[in-house]
Amino acid sequence: MSRALDRTGIWIGWAFFADLTNALALTFGYMFSRPVTMQYPDKEKWLPYSRYRGHHFLKRDDEGEIKCVACELCARICPCDCIEVIPYEDEKGNRHPAKFEIDMARCLFCGLCEDACPADAIALGQQYEFSSFSSADLVIGRDDLLGKPGKATTGGGVVAARLNTEQDVLVETSEPQGYNWWRNIRRT
Amino acid sequence: MELVVALGLIVFKVALLIAILLLLPLPLTWLERKIAGHIQQRMGPMRVGWHGLLQPVADGVKLLTKEDHIPAEADRFLFKLAPILALAPPFVVFVAIPFGESVSVLGTKITLYVSNLNVALLFVFAVIGIEVYGVIFGGWAANSKYAVLGSLRTCAQMISYEIPMGFAVIGVVMLAQSMSLLDIVRAQANVWNIVYQPVGFFVFFVAGLAEAQRIPFDLAEAEGDLGAGFHTEYSGIRFAFFMVSEYAIMLLTSVLAVILFFGGWNGVLVPLPPLLWFVLKVAFFVYVFIWFRFTFPRYRYDQLMAIGWKVLLPLSMANIIITGVAFL
Ligand code: SF4
Ligand code: SF4
Repeated sequence: MSRALDRTGIWIGWAFFADLTNALALTFGYMFSRPVTMQYPDKEKWLPYSRYRGHHFLKRDDEGEIKCVACELCARICPCDCIEVIPYEDEKGNRHPAKFEIDMARCLFCGLCEDACPADAIALGQQYEFSSFSSADLVIGRDDLLGKPGKATTGGGVVAARLNTEQDVLVETSEPQGYNWWRNIRRT
Repeated sequence: MELVVALGLIVFKVALLIAILLLLPLPLTWLERKIAGHIQQRMGPMRVGWHGLLQPVADGVKLLTKEDHIPAEADRFLFKLAPILALAPPFVVFVAIPFGESVSVLGTKITLYVSNLNVALLFVFAVIGIEVYGVIFGGWAANSKYAVLGSLRTCAQMISYEIPMGFAVIGVVMLAQSMSLLDIVRAQANVWNIVYQPVGFFVFFVAGLAEAQRIPFDLAEAEGDLGAGFHTEYSGIRFAFFMVSEYAIMLLTSVLAVILFFGGWNGVLVPLPPLLWFVLKVAFFVYVFIWFRFTFPRYRYDQLMAIGWKVLLPLSMANIIITGVAFL
Protein backbone atom coordinates (compact mmCIF):
# COMPACT_ATOMS: atom_id res chain seq x y z
CA MET A 1 0.00 0.00 0.00
CA SER A 2 2.58 2.54 1.07
CA ARG A 3 4.93 1.27 -1.65
CA ALA A 4 2.24 1.90 -4.22
CA LEU A 5 1.62 5.36 -2.77
CA ASP A 6 5.31 6.07 -2.89
CA ARG A 7 5.43 5.08 -6.50
CA THR A 8 2.53 7.31 -7.44
CA GLY A 9 4.22 10.11 -5.53
CA ILE A 10 7.37 9.59 -7.57
CA TRP A 11 5.37 9.57 -10.80
CA ILE A 12 3.58 12.78 -9.89
CA GLY A 13 6.96 14.26 -9.00
CA TRP A 14 8.30 13.30 -12.40
CA ALA A 15 5.33 14.77 -14.19
CA PHE A 16 6.06 18.11 -12.55
CA PHE A 17 9.86 17.80 -12.89
CA ALA A 18 10.49 17.49 -9.17
CA ASP A 19 13.90 15.99 -9.86
CA LEU A 20 14.88 18.81 -12.18
CA THR A 21 13.72 21.49 -9.76
CA ASN A 22 15.64 19.78 -6.96
CA ALA A 23 18.78 19.99 -9.06
CA LEU A 24 18.14 23.64 -9.84
CA ALA A 25 17.59 24.44 -6.17
CA LEU A 26 20.84 22.70 -5.29
CA THR A 27 22.93 24.60 -7.81
CA PHE A 28 21.23 27.83 -6.81
CA GLY A 29 22.19 27.17 -3.21
CA TYR A 30 25.76 26.48 -4.22
CA MET A 31 25.88 29.71 -6.15
CA PHE A 32 25.54 31.68 -2.95
CA SER A 33 27.90 29.57 -0.90
CA ARG A 34 31.48 30.61 -0.30
CA PRO A 35 33.89 29.55 -3.01
CA VAL A 36 36.63 27.22 -1.90
CA THR A 37 39.20 28.68 -4.27
CA MET A 38 42.56 29.44 -2.71
CA GLN A 39 43.91 32.38 -4.68
CA TYR A 40 47.47 31.20 -4.96
CA PRO A 41 49.89 32.84 -5.59
CA ASP A 42 48.17 36.22 -5.94
CA LYS A 43 46.50 36.64 -2.61
CA GLU A 44 46.68 33.57 -0.47
CA LYS A 45 48.87 30.63 0.15
CA TRP A 46 48.70 27.49 2.13
CA LEU A 47 50.67 26.71 5.25
CA PRO A 48 51.96 23.14 5.30
CA TYR A 49 51.18 20.77 8.10
CA SER A 50 54.03 19.60 10.31
CA ARG A 51 53.86 16.18 8.67
CA TYR A 52 54.09 17.74 5.22
CA ARG A 53 56.92 16.43 3.05
CA GLY A 54 58.48 19.44 1.36
CA HIS A 55 62.04 20.44 0.61
CA HIS A 56 64.71 18.50 2.53
CA PHE A 57 66.84 20.09 5.17
CA LEU A 58 69.92 18.88 7.06
CA LYS A 59 70.07 19.32 10.82
CA ARG A 60 72.90 20.43 13.09
CA ASP A 61 73.62 19.08 16.53
CA ASP A 62 73.95 21.16 19.71
CA GLU A 63 77.52 22.20 18.91
CA GLY A 64 76.47 23.43 15.54
CA GLU A 65 78.19 20.56 13.82
CA ILE A 66 76.32 18.85 10.97
CA LYS A 67 74.53 15.77 12.30
CA CYS A 68 74.99 13.65 9.21
CA VAL A 69 77.59 10.90 9.63
CA ALA A 70 77.77 10.22 5.90
CA CYS A 71 76.69 6.61 6.25
CA GLU A 72 75.02 6.81 2.86
CA LEU A 73 71.99 4.88 4.02
CA CYS A 74 69.71 7.55 2.60
CA ALA A 75 71.47 7.31 -0.72
CA ARG A 76 70.97 3.54 -0.63
CA ILE A 77 67.29 3.57 0.22
CA CYS A 78 66.32 6.38 -2.10
CA PRO A 79 64.13 4.87 -4.83
CA CYS A 80 65.13 7.58 -7.26
CA ASP A 81 68.82 7.38 -6.61
CA CYS A 82 68.97 11.12 -6.23
CA ILE A 83 71.19 11.55 -3.18
CA GLU A 84 74.94 11.64 -3.55
CA VAL A 85 77.09 11.56 -0.40
CA ILE A 86 80.91 11.71 -0.29
CA PRO A 87 82.31 11.33 3.23
CA TYR A 88 85.44 12.77 4.84
CA GLU A 89 86.95 12.49 8.30
CA ASP A 90 87.51 15.64 10.33
CA GLU A 91 90.34 16.34 12.87
CA LYS A 92 88.42 14.67 15.69
CA GLY A 93 87.99 11.55 13.65
CA ASN A 94 84.25 12.00 12.96
CA ARG A 95 82.74 11.16 9.62
CA HIS A 96 80.89 13.93 7.89
CA PRO A 97 79.79 14.50 4.32
CA ALA A 98 82.18 16.46 2.18
CA LYS A 99 79.56 16.54 -0.50
CA PHE A 100 75.87 16.00 0.03
CA GLU A 101 73.72 16.63 -3.02
CA ILE A 102 70.02 15.97 -3.58
CA ASP A 103 68.63 16.20 -7.08
CA MET A 104 65.22 17.68 -6.36
CA ALA A 105 64.21 17.23 -9.97
CA ARG A 106 64.21 13.48 -9.43
CA CYS A 107 63.08 13.25 -5.83
CA LEU A 108 59.55 11.95 -5.35
CA PHE A 109 59.24 13.16 -1.75
CA CYS A 110 58.64 9.69 -0.35
CA GLY A 111 60.42 10.54 2.89
CA LEU A 112 62.33 7.25 2.97
CA CYS A 113 65.63 9.07 3.44
CA GLU A 114 64.23 10.62 6.61
CA ASP A 115 63.12 7.21 7.89
CA ALA A 116 66.39 5.52 7.06
CA CYS A 117 68.73 8.03 8.62
CA PRO A 118 70.32 6.59 11.78
CA ALA A 119 71.56 10.00 12.97
CA ASP A 120 68.28 11.88 12.56
CA ALA A 121 70.18 14.21 10.27
CA ILE A 122 67.89 14.67 7.30
CA ALA A 123 64.19 15.46 7.16
CA LEU A 124 61.62 16.83 4.79
CA GLY A 125 60.55 20.33 5.73
CA GLN A 126 57.82 22.80 4.87
CA GLN A 127 59.19 24.63 1.86
CA TYR A 128 57.30 23.86 -1.34
CA GLU A 129 58.04 26.81 -3.58
CA PHE A 130 61.29 26.04 -5.32
CA SER A 131 60.38 25.57 -8.96
CA SER A 132 63.04 26.65 -11.37
CA PHE A 133 63.63 27.18 -15.06
CA SER A 134 66.66 24.94 -15.14
CA SER A 135 66.93 21.43 -13.77
CA ALA A 136 70.56 22.07 -12.91
CA ASP A 137 69.39 24.60 -10.30
CA LEU A 138 67.46 21.85 -8.60
CA VAL A 139 70.57 20.00 -7.50
CA ILE A 140 70.92 21.25 -3.93
CA GLY A 141 74.22 21.05 -2.12
CA ARG A 142 75.11 20.52 1.54
CA ASP A 143 75.32 24.14 2.64
CA ASP A 144 72.03 25.06 1.02
CA LEU A 145 70.35 22.10 2.66
CA LEU A 146 71.61 23.21 6.06
CA GLY A 147 69.94 26.57 5.55
CA LYS A 148 66.53 25.30 4.48
CA PRO A 149 63.52 25.82 6.78
CA GLY A 150 62.66 22.96 9.07
CA LYS A 151 59.39 21.25 9.86
CA ALA A 152 56.30 23.39 10.11
CA THR A 153 54.93 23.90 13.58
CA THR A 154 51.46 25.07 12.63
CA GLY A 155 49.70 24.13 9.48
CA GLY A 156 46.64 23.64 7.39
CA GLY A 157 45.73 27.30 7.31
CA VAL A 158 45.60 29.75 4.46
CA VAL A 159 47.46 33.00 4.85
CA ALA A 160 47.93 36.10 2.75
CA ALA A 161 50.74 35.70 0.27
CA ARG A 162 52.72 38.41 -1.41
CA LEU A 163 54.17 37.60 -4.76
CA ASN A 164 57.69 38.92 -4.97
CA THR A 165 58.60 38.26 -8.54
CA GLU A 166 62.24 39.10 -7.96
CA GLN A 167 62.97 36.29 -5.58
CA ASP A 168 60.39 34.06 -4.08
CA VAL A 169 56.87 33.98 -2.78
CA LEU A 170 57.03 35.49 0.65
CA VAL A 171 54.48 34.88 3.35
CA GLU A 172 52.92 37.76 5.18
CA THR A 173 50.97 36.47 8.11
CA SER A 174 48.61 38.68 9.95
CA GLU A 175 46.86 35.83 11.70
CA PRO A 176 49.43 33.34 12.95
CA GLN A 177 47.56 30.31 11.64
CA GLY A 178 45.51 31.72 8.83
CA TYR A 179 41.95 30.61 8.24
CA ASN A 180 41.03 27.00 7.91
CA TRP A 181 40.47 26.27 4.27
CA TRP A 182 38.31 23.26 4.97
CA ARG A 183 35.61 25.31 6.64
CA ASN A 184 34.42 26.48 3.22
CA ILE A 185 33.73 23.00 1.95
CA ARG A 186 30.02 22.33 1.99
CA ARG A 187 29.02 18.94 3.23
CA THR A 188 25.46 17.79 2.99
CA MET B 1 13.63 66.42 -45.26
CA GLU B 2 11.14 64.18 -43.49
CA LEU B 3 12.43 61.23 -45.45
CA VAL B 4 16.06 61.99 -44.62
CA VAL B 5 15.31 62.19 -40.91
CA ALA B 6 13.35 58.95 -41.01
CA LEU B 7 16.09 57.19 -42.96
CA GLY B 8 18.78 58.55 -40.68
CA LEU B 9 16.85 57.33 -37.68
CA ILE B 10 16.57 53.84 -39.10
CA VAL B 11 20.27 53.72 -39.92
CA PHE B 12 21.09 54.95 -36.44
CA LYS B 13 18.83 52.34 -34.83
CA VAL B 14 20.29 49.52 -36.89
CA ALA B 15 23.83 50.65 -36.12
CA LEU B 16 23.01 50.83 -32.43
CA LEU B 17 21.45 47.40 -32.50
CA ILE B 18 24.45 45.86 -34.25
CA ALA B 19 26.85 47.52 -31.84
CA ILE B 20 24.90 46.27 -28.82
CA LEU B 21 24.62 42.77 -30.18
CA LEU B 22 28.30 42.61 -31.04
CA LEU B 23 29.38 43.90 -27.65
CA LEU B 24 26.92 41.99 -25.48
CA PRO B 25 28.78 38.67 -25.70
CA LEU B 26 31.63 40.30 -23.78
CA PRO B 27 29.71 40.81 -20.52
CA LEU B 28 27.74 37.64 -21.17
CA THR B 29 30.82 35.41 -21.36
CA TRP B 30 32.11 37.00 -18.21
CA LEU B 31 28.76 36.47 -16.50
CA GLU B 32 28.56 32.90 -17.69
CA ARG B 33 32.00 32.05 -16.38
CA LYS B 34 31.34 33.81 -13.09
CA ILE B 35 28.03 32.02 -12.56
CA ALA B 36 29.60 28.73 -13.60
CA GLY B 37 32.38 29.29 -11.11
CA HIS B 38 30.14 30.12 -8.21
CA ILE B 39 27.78 27.23 -8.92
CA GLN B 40 30.82 24.97 -8.72
CA GLN B 41 32.14 26.80 -5.64
CA ARG B 42 34.94 28.38 -7.64
CA MET B 43 35.47 32.04 -8.31
CA GLY B 44 35.66 32.16 -12.07
CA PRO B 45 37.96 34.69 -13.72
CA MET B 46 39.70 36.79 -11.08
CA ARG B 47 43.01 37.96 -12.47
CA VAL B 48 42.38 40.33 -15.40
CA GLY B 49 40.86 43.50 -14.07
CA TRP B 50 38.61 43.78 -11.05
CA HIS B 51 37.13 40.32 -10.45
CA GLY B 52 38.17 39.36 -13.96
CA LEU B 53 36.00 42.00 -15.61
CA LEU B 54 38.50 42.52 -18.41
CA GLN B 55 38.84 38.80 -19.08
CA PRO B 56 36.46 38.86 -22.11
CA VAL B 57 38.55 41.66 -23.64
CA ALA B 58 41.68 39.62 -23.16
CA ASP B 59 39.95 36.61 -24.67
CA GLY B 60 38.78 38.73 -27.58
CA VAL B 61 42.31 39.95 -28.27
CA LYS B 62 43.51 36.38 -28.08
CA LEU B 63 40.88 35.18 -30.56
CA LEU B 64 41.59 38.02 -32.98
CA THR B 65 45.32 37.46 -32.99
CA LYS B 66 45.18 33.70 -33.33
CA GLU B 67 45.99 31.96 -36.56
CA ASP B 68 42.94 31.55 -38.77
CA HIS B 69 43.42 27.95 -39.67
CA ILE B 70 41.65 26.19 -42.54
CA PRO B 71 42.12 22.42 -42.75
CA ALA B 72 43.81 21.25 -45.95
CA GLU B 73 40.95 18.97 -46.96
CA ALA B 74 38.23 21.48 -46.16
CA ASP B 75 35.77 22.91 -48.66
CA ARG B 76 37.24 26.39 -48.52
CA PHE B 77 34.26 28.30 -49.81
CA LEU B 78 31.71 26.70 -47.51
CA PHE B 79 34.17 26.83 -44.64
CA LYS B 80 34.41 30.59 -45.00
CA LEU B 81 30.71 31.04 -45.66
CA ALA B 82 29.48 29.09 -42.65
CA PRO B 83 30.45 31.52 -39.85
CA ILE B 84 28.85 34.41 -41.71
CA LEU B 85 25.75 32.36 -42.32
CA ALA B 86 25.63 31.59 -38.62
CA LEU B 87 26.29 35.15 -37.54
CA ALA B 88 24.02 37.20 -39.82
CA PRO B 89 20.52 35.75 -39.12
CA PRO B 90 20.42 36.47 -35.37
CA PHE B 91 21.32 40.07 -36.18
CA VAL B 92 18.74 40.30 -38.92
CA VAL B 93 16.04 38.92 -36.66
CA PHE B 94 16.47 41.73 -34.16
CA VAL B 95 15.19 44.16 -36.79
CA ALA B 96 11.71 42.78 -36.18
CA ILE B 97 11.94 42.76 -32.40
CA PRO B 98 10.29 45.60 -30.50
CA PHE B 99 11.92 46.73 -27.28
CA GLY B 100 9.20 49.08 -26.17
CA GLU B 101 6.59 51.49 -27.46
CA SER B 102 8.28 54.81 -28.04
CA VAL B 103 10.19 57.52 -26.27
CA SER B 104 10.15 61.18 -27.09
CA VAL B 105 13.53 62.80 -27.56
CA LEU B 106 13.62 66.55 -28.25
CA GLY B 107 9.96 66.62 -29.05
CA THR B 108 10.10 63.89 -31.70
CA LYS B 109 8.69 60.49 -30.98
CA ILE B 110 11.18 57.72 -31.51
CA THR B 111 9.86 54.19 -31.64
CA LEU B 112 11.88 51.55 -29.86
CA TYR B 113 11.80 49.15 -32.78
CA VAL B 114 13.25 49.27 -36.25
CA SER B 115 10.14 48.06 -38.00
CA ASN B 116 6.73 46.81 -37.01
CA LEU B 117 6.21 43.88 -39.34
CA ASN B 118 2.70 42.49 -39.31
CA VAL B 119 4.15 38.99 -39.76
CA ALA B 120 7.06 39.56 -37.39
CA LEU B 121 6.72 36.18 -35.73
CA LEU B 122 6.85 34.36 -39.04
CA PHE B 123 9.83 36.48 -40.09
CA VAL B 124 11.68 35.63 -36.88
CA PHE B 125 11.20 31.90 -37.27
CA ALA B 126 12.02 31.95 -40.96
CA VAL B 127 15.24 33.90 -40.59
CA ILE B 128 16.45 32.09 -37.52
CA GLY B 129 16.04 28.86 -39.47
CA ILE B 130 18.82 30.05 -41.78
CA GLU B 131 21.26 30.10 -38.90
CA VAL B 132 21.13 26.33 -38.79
CA TYR B 133 22.64 26.25 -42.27
CA GLY B 134 25.71 27.95 -40.91
CA VAL B 135 26.11 25.21 -38.36
CA ILE B 136 25.45 22.44 -40.87
CA PHE B 137 27.75 23.89 -43.53
CA GLY B 138 30.46 24.57 -40.99
CA GLY B 139 30.47 20.98 -39.83
CA TRP B 140 30.30 19.61 -43.35
CA ALA B 141 32.97 21.85 -44.85
CA ALA B 142 35.54 21.16 -42.16
CA ASN B 143 35.86 17.59 -43.42
CA SER B 144 36.44 16.19 -39.97
CA LYS B 145 34.50 13.37 -38.42
CA TYR B 146 33.63 15.22 -35.24
CA ALA B 147 32.38 18.23 -37.14
CA VAL B 148 30.27 16.13 -39.49
CA LEU B 149 28.70 14.29 -36.57
CA GLY B 150 27.96 17.66 -35.01
CA SER B 151 26.15 18.87 -38.11
CA LEU B 152 24.26 15.62 -38.50
CA ARG B 153 22.96 16.02 -35.00
CA THR B 154 22.04 19.63 -35.69
CA CYS B 155 19.98 18.62 -38.73
CA ALA B 156 17.93 16.09 -36.81
CA GLN B 157 17.67 18.24 -33.71
CA MET B 158 16.46 21.30 -35.54
CA ILE B 159 13.71 19.47 -37.39
CA SER B 160 12.38 17.95 -34.23
CA TYR B 161 12.47 21.26 -32.37
CA GLU B 162 11.45 23.97 -34.77
CA ILE B 163 8.11 22.26 -35.38
CA PRO B 164 6.94 22.14 -31.74
CA MET B 165 8.34 25.63 -31.28
CA GLY B 166 6.28 26.91 -34.18
CA PHE B 167 3.17 25.23 -32.88
CA ALA B 168 3.78 26.46 -29.35
CA VAL B 169 3.53 30.11 -30.35
CA ILE B 170 0.31 29.61 -32.34
CA GLY B 171 -1.63 29.76 -29.09
CA VAL B 172 -0.13 33.18 -28.46
CA VAL B 173 -1.01 34.32 -31.97
CA MET B 174 -4.59 33.15 -31.43
CA LEU B 175 -4.85 35.12 -28.22
CA ALA B 176 -3.49 38.32 -29.73
CA GLN B 177 -5.23 37.83 -33.10
CA SER B 178 -2.06 39.08 -34.72
CA MET B 179 1.43 37.98 -35.69
CA SER B 180 2.94 41.37 -35.01
CA LEU B 181 5.10 41.21 -31.92
CA LEU B 182 4.00 44.71 -31.02
CA ASP B 183 0.33 43.68 -31.01
CA ILE B 184 1.15 40.54 -29.07
CA VAL B 185 2.73 42.59 -26.31
CA ARG B 186 -0.15 45.09 -26.35
CA ALA B 187 -2.60 42.23 -25.97
CA GLN B 188 -0.84 41.26 -22.74
CA ALA B 189 -1.26 44.66 -21.11
CA ASN B 190 -3.50 43.23 -18.39
CA VAL B 191 -2.73 39.53 -18.16
CA TRP B 192 0.46 37.94 -19.37
CA ASN B 193 0.19 35.03 -21.75
CA ILE B 194 1.95 32.72 -19.31
CA VAL B 195 -1.31 32.62 -17.34
CA TYR B 196 -3.29 31.33 -20.32
CA GLN B 197 -0.52 29.40 -22.04
CA PRO B 198 1.66 27.64 -19.46
CA VAL B 199 1.96 24.57 -21.66
CA GLY B 200 2.78 26.70 -24.66
CA PHE B 201 5.50 28.42 -22.68
CA PHE B 202 6.90 25.10 -21.50
CA VAL B 203 7.13 23.75 -25.03
CA PHE B 204 8.56 27.03 -26.30
CA PHE B 205 11.17 27.17 -23.59
CA VAL B 206 12.37 23.60 -24.01
CA ALA B 207 12.48 24.04 -27.78
CA GLY B 208 14.26 27.35 -27.26
CA LEU B 209 16.96 25.61 -25.25
CA ALA B 210 17.47 23.29 -28.20
CA GLU B 211 17.32 26.16 -30.66
CA ALA B 212 20.02 28.05 -28.78
CA GLN B 213 22.08 24.85 -28.61
CA ARG B 214 22.46 25.13 -24.89
CA ILE B 215 22.82 22.35 -22.37
CA PRO B 216 20.87 20.08 -21.91
CA PHE B 217 20.42 20.04 -25.69
CA ASP B 218 23.81 21.15 -26.97
CA LEU B 219 24.33 17.93 -28.91
CA ALA B 220 25.85 19.69 -31.90
CA GLU B 221 28.88 20.81 -29.96
CA ALA B 222 28.93 18.29 -27.13
CA GLU B 223 32.43 18.88 -25.74
CA GLY B 224 32.47 15.52 -24.04
CA ASP B 225 31.87 13.32 -27.03
CA LEU B 226 32.55 15.42 -30.15
CA GLY B 227 35.53 17.61 -29.33
CA ALA B 228 33.69 20.82 -30.06
CA GLY B 229 31.17 19.49 -32.56
CA PHE B 230 30.60 21.52 -35.67
CA HIS B 231 33.21 24.15 -34.84
CA THR B 232 35.98 21.71 -33.94
CA GLU B 233 38.12 22.92 -36.83
CA TYR B 234 37.41 26.62 -36.47
CA SER B 235 39.85 28.97 -34.86
CA GLY B 236 40.44 32.66 -34.39
CA ILE B 237 37.93 35.13 -35.73
CA ARG B 238 35.73 32.55 -37.42
CA PHE B 239 35.32 30.73 -34.14
CA ALA B 240 34.46 34.06 -32.54
CA PHE B 241 31.69 34.46 -35.15
CA PHE B 242 30.11 31.21 -34.01
CA MET B 243 30.41 32.26 -30.38
CA VAL B 244 28.78 35.63 -30.99
CA SER B 245 26.03 33.93 -32.96
CA GLU B 246 25.42 31.52 -30.12
CA TYR B 247 25.08 34.30 -27.58
CA ALA B 248 22.88 36.33 -29.91
CA ILE B 249 20.53 33.37 -30.26
CA MET B 250 20.47 32.81 -26.54
CA LEU B 251 19.53 36.46 -26.19
CA LEU B 252 16.94 36.16 -28.93
CA THR B 253 15.31 33.17 -27.29
CA SER B 254 15.14 35.06 -24.00
CA VAL B 255 13.70 38.12 -25.73
CA LEU B 256 11.10 36.02 -27.55
CA ALA B 257 10.10 34.26 -24.34
CA VAL B 258 9.61 37.63 -22.67
CA ILE B 259 7.67 39.12 -25.59
CA LEU B 260 5.47 36.12 -26.25
CA PHE B 261 4.72 34.89 -22.76
CA PHE B 262 5.89 37.36 -20.14
CA GLY B 263 4.22 40.52 -21.25
CA GLY B 264 7.15 42.22 -22.94
CA TRP B 265 7.65 45.62 -21.35
CA ASN B 266 4.41 45.51 -19.36
CA GLY B 267 5.31 45.63 -15.71
CA VAL B 268 3.54 44.32 -12.64
CA LEU B 269 3.19 45.94 -9.24
CA VAL B 270 6.40 47.97 -9.34
CA PRO B 271 6.15 50.93 -11.72
CA LEU B 272 9.50 50.87 -13.48
CA PRO B 273 10.23 52.33 -16.91
CA PRO B 274 8.99 49.85 -19.55
CA LEU B 275 12.41 49.43 -21.11
CA LEU B 276 13.89 48.56 -17.72
CA TRP B 277 11.17 45.97 -17.15
CA PHE B 278 12.00 44.46 -20.49
CA VAL B 279 15.73 44.32 -19.80
CA LEU B 280 15.18 42.84 -16.36
CA LYS B 281 12.98 40.06 -17.71
CA VAL B 282 15.43 39.27 -20.48
CA ALA B 283 18.30 39.23 -17.99
CA PHE B 284 16.36 36.79 -15.87
CA PHE B 285 15.94 34.41 -18.78
CA VAL B 286 19.59 34.72 -19.75
CA TYR B 287 20.44 33.80 -16.18
CA VAL B 288 18.11 30.81 -16.36
CA PHE B 289 19.87 29.64 -19.51
CA ILE B 290 23.25 29.81 -17.81
CA TRP B 291 21.88 28.27 -14.63
CA PHE B 292 20.49 25.33 -16.61
CA ARG B 293 23.79 24.85 -18.34
CA PHE B 294 25.62 24.22 -15.11
CA THR B 295 22.91 22.12 -13.52
CA PHE B 296 21.88 19.53 -16.06
CA PRO B 297 23.80 16.89 -17.95
CA ARG B 298 23.36 16.56 -21.69
CA TYR B 299 20.45 14.51 -23.03
CA ARG B 300 21.28 11.54 -25.16
CA TYR B 301 20.62 11.82 -28.87
CA ASP B 302 17.64 9.44 -29.01
CA GLN B 303 16.16 10.88 -25.82
CA LEU B 304 16.23 14.28 -27.44
CA MET B 305 14.35 12.99 -30.47
CA ALA B 306 11.86 11.23 -28.23
CA ILE B 307 11.21 14.39 -26.24
CA GLY B 308 10.79 16.41 -29.41
CA TRP B 309 8.42 14.11 -31.27
CA LYS B 310 6.63 12.21 -28.52
CA VAL B 311 6.22 14.87 -25.84
CA LEU B 312 6.57 18.38 -27.17
CA LEU B 313 4.77 17.94 -30.47
CA PRO B 314 1.59 16.37 -28.99
CA LEU B 315 1.69 18.87 -26.13
CA SER B 316 1.86 21.83 -28.49
CA MET B 317 -0.94 20.38 -30.65
CA ALA B 318 -3.12 19.83 -27.61
CA ASN B 319 -2.36 23.37 -26.56
CA ILE B 320 -3.63 24.73 -29.87
CA ILE B 321 -6.79 22.64 -29.72
CA ILE B 322 -7.59 23.67 -26.16
CA THR B 323 -6.95 27.31 -26.93
CA GLY B 324 -9.24 27.00 -29.94
CA VAL B 325 -11.99 25.33 -27.92
CA ALA B 326 -11.71 27.99 -25.25
CA PHE B 327 -12.14 30.62 -27.95
CA LEU B 328 -15.31 29.03 -29.24
S1 SF4 C 1 62.39 11.77 -0.26
FE1 SF4 C 1 62.58 9.75 -1.22
S2 SF4 C 1 63.11 10.20 -3.34
FE2 SF4 C 1 63.47 12.08 -2.20
S3 SF4 C 1 65.62 11.99 -1.65
FE3 SF4 C 1 64.49 11.09 0.07
S4 SF4 C 1 64.46 8.91 -0.37
FE4 SF4 C 1 65.02 9.93 -2.27
S1 SF4 D 1 71.68 12.00 6.07
FE1 SF4 D 1 71.50 10.32 7.53
S2 SF4 D 1 71.30 8.51 6.25
FE2 SF4 D 1 72.06 10.12 4.92
S3 SF4 D 1 74.27 9.91 4.95
FE3 SF4 D 1 73.75 11.38 6.53
S4 SF4 D 1 73.52 10.18 8.38
FE4 SF4 D 1 73.47 8.72 6.70
